[in-house]
Amino acid sequence: MDYAASEPGVTEVTPAMAIKILIAGGFGVGKTTMVGTISEIRPLHTEELLSERGIGVDDTSGVESKITTTVALDFGRITIREGLWLYLFGTPGQNRFWFMWDELAVGALGAVVLADTRRLQECFPAVDYFEQRGLPFVVAVNCFDGARRHDPVKVRRALGLDGVAPIVLCDVRDRESVKEVLTTLVTYAVGGAFKAPTMSEGDTIRADASSVPGSPG
Amino acid sequence: MTGEDPGPLVRLFGLTGGRARPLGETFDLVAIVTTVSMTFEPADLIPEYLAVLSACRRPTPVADVAAQLKLPLNITRVILGDLRREGLVTIDRPQPAAQAIDERIYREVLHGLRGL
Repeated sequence: MDYAASEPGVTEVTPAMAIKILIAGGFGVGKTTMVGTISEIRPLHTEELLSERGIGVDDTSGVESKITTTVALDFGRITIREGLWLYLFGTPGQNRFWFMWDELAVGALGAVVLADTRRLQECFPAVDYFEQRGLPFVVAVNCFDGARRHDPVKVRRALGLDGVAPIVLCDVRDRESVKEVLTTLVTYAVGGAFKAPTMSEGDTIRADASSVPGSPG
Repeated sequence: MTGEDPGPLVRLFGLTGGRARPLGETFDLVAIVTTVSMTFEPADLIPEYLAVLSACRRPTPVADVAAQLKLPLNITRVILGDLRREGLVTIDRPQPAAQAIDERIYREVLHGLRGL
């Protein structure tokens, strides 16, 4: 069906809308895998050419770097229907690309912070960033093969989370698991403004179990 | 803008005349681009510009345009800015998701995710 934007006589058409979701976390934690698991297309890959203006974000004081470099941006797409999409953007890992995070975060619905319990500290910057920006996020603990399954309450404590942001255990290679992470995020991000249909439909969001209030402070 | 193709890199620079930023108001990665319906196809446009016009007959987010055309985002944005100035495309400014999502869309999204 063609989009009827050019037919003003037809009943009102909902404007097309793309919802941005960020996938953040340390290098090698599984961001691209997660996007690939759920995206209906092979993760699209585009590159951002950086002018010296962007490079200047680096703390290379005194070095007037004129290098033009590229930062790869991987993203996936989920079509809910014609004219309504979710876009999942993997955030660039290196710190010097923070300015791209700013752009990605504007208007985003929320973020998934992927965590590897063996290197938990690597997701601290992302957690800090989203907390400062007030962007809703869920922490998804990627349970790699062989990695011990961790108690979400302990993860929450280790991350110093305030007990509000959900923590979900997940396997980024598993579709159902990634779906659960995203539904958790969407539900959390709209802030309970709408009555979540989860209860009546008999679904449970596993994250609920871990959303018990964490230790204060 | 005519003549032999000197190679992809030079061509990319040539496409934008060295410009790194689009004309006019900046737009988001997921801003929706829509080609304004035309009775004729502008014949003097270079292929990349025509390709954008073709891709955006269906409303398409900026990032997707870049990916489809296999062009860097900056370059895509410059092209889109040019096309907007010429009145050939519209670029909607997206509302922040939290404000744009009403209950119906929220349910649609949840339902859509679960149905994957």
